[in-house]
Amino acid sequence: MECKQAASLMHDYLDNELPEEQALDLKSHLDKCVSCRTRLKELEQTDMLMFAAVKHSLPSAPDDVLNRIMSSLPKKRRQQAWLGWVKRHPALTAAAMFLLVMLFSTLSIWKSDDQLVVKGPDLDKVRIEGHTVIVPEGTEIAGDLTVENGNTEVYGEVKGNLTVIDGSLYQASTAKIAGDAKTIDQALDWIWYRITNTFTEVAYR
Amino acid sequence: MAELTDAGLVKLARKGNQDAFAELVELYKDKVFHLAYRMLNNRHESEDIVQETFLRVYKNWDKYDENQKFSTWMYRIATNLCIDRLRKRKPNFSLDAELNDQDGTADGYSLIPGDNRTPESEFLISETQQIIHQAIAGLPAKYKTIMILRYLQELSLQEIGDILDMPVTTVKTRVHRGREFLRKRLEHKLF
Ligand SMILES: [Zn+2]
Repeated sequence: MECKQAASLMHDYLDNELPEEQALDLKSHLDKCVSCRTRLKELEQTDMLMFAAVKHSLPSAPDDVLNRIMSSLPKKRRQQAWLGWVKRHPALTAAAMFLLVMLFSTLSIWKSDDQLVVKGPDLDKVRIEGHTVIVPEGTEIAGDLTVENGNTEVYGEVKGNLTVIDGSLYQASTAKIAGDAKTIDQALDWIWYRITNTFTEVAYR
Repeated sequence: MAELTDAGLVKLARKGNQDAFAELVELYKDKVFHLAYRMLNNRHESEDIVQETFLRVYKNWDKYDENQKFSTWMYRIATNLCIDRLRKRKPNFSLDAELNDQDGTADGYSLIPGDNRTPESEFLISETQQIIHQAIAGLPAKYKTIMILRYLQELSLQEIGDILDMPVTTVKTRVHRGREFLRKRLEHKLF
């Protein structure tokens, strides 16, 4: 066996991936080759030192990180809140049914036009390239942003909810979305969205 | 809850159990932090990575495949976030940078808690550790992530391959070269 092949086997050995037969071959080479013996010893020491030292002296995650994570989780889905609201107000369920019927007309025109629609404040800060809406890094959108029939890429900050209807959503690691980020591509989701939005609007009027 | 396995916690957390999710965060937050810290050498950014990783886990449960280990998926998210950050710092950053691309030369100095260096923290790091840390920081980008995952998290080659979406044969070659690189860096200083 040549030293080069022996070196490759040494690494397999350190990875716990050397079959017994080859281990014996390696051993017989090591018995007669001093430089390979030294090399294996050094490699073993490298591994040992690395395993030990890499962890040592590392600071641990700050204590409050758990709380920060838990409090930053998105709130429970709005549609569940809506269902709860219906349960608490059974008398209004009929009204909801009426709305549902009404919304089917919305559904029928849904997808019929694929024009890009962007709704929100600070729209001058948003960049639009073809069918892609970009919130560039370093920009802040002061409230809710809604994009219909387009893809959305967020690098900056959205201070409210972000809703992408019938399009994809990309969030860069710099993206900050204060509210819920939601993509809606199904007709059913769309109905929920219209209902919850209508109700929110009604409720606050 | 402590007796639950990862898989059990994951099942509960996916159903929306907040306690189970908190437990997963507890279990893995330090590991993610260490991984990020080793890759980015910056405490503040590493905290961000921890937070972002778990937020993405939470938001993307529907994309998680239960046949995969939870930790593999989580490390994958964390690693990608770190690589994203590195790219932002250095637009031409590539995981496949060549060996002679001395990505680490600048990092070598920032590696001792760069952003909040105090006499105390420097005092705590022995000379041996400094040599080792500098050797890691000096690793070319191509090998760095792999070696950090290997030594820090003690993952198998297969798991590293799954995390980085690389064939296990590539991981193996890089572990071997990375180990040789480190050996040469330590050779005249520690052996
Ligand atoms: Zn030899």
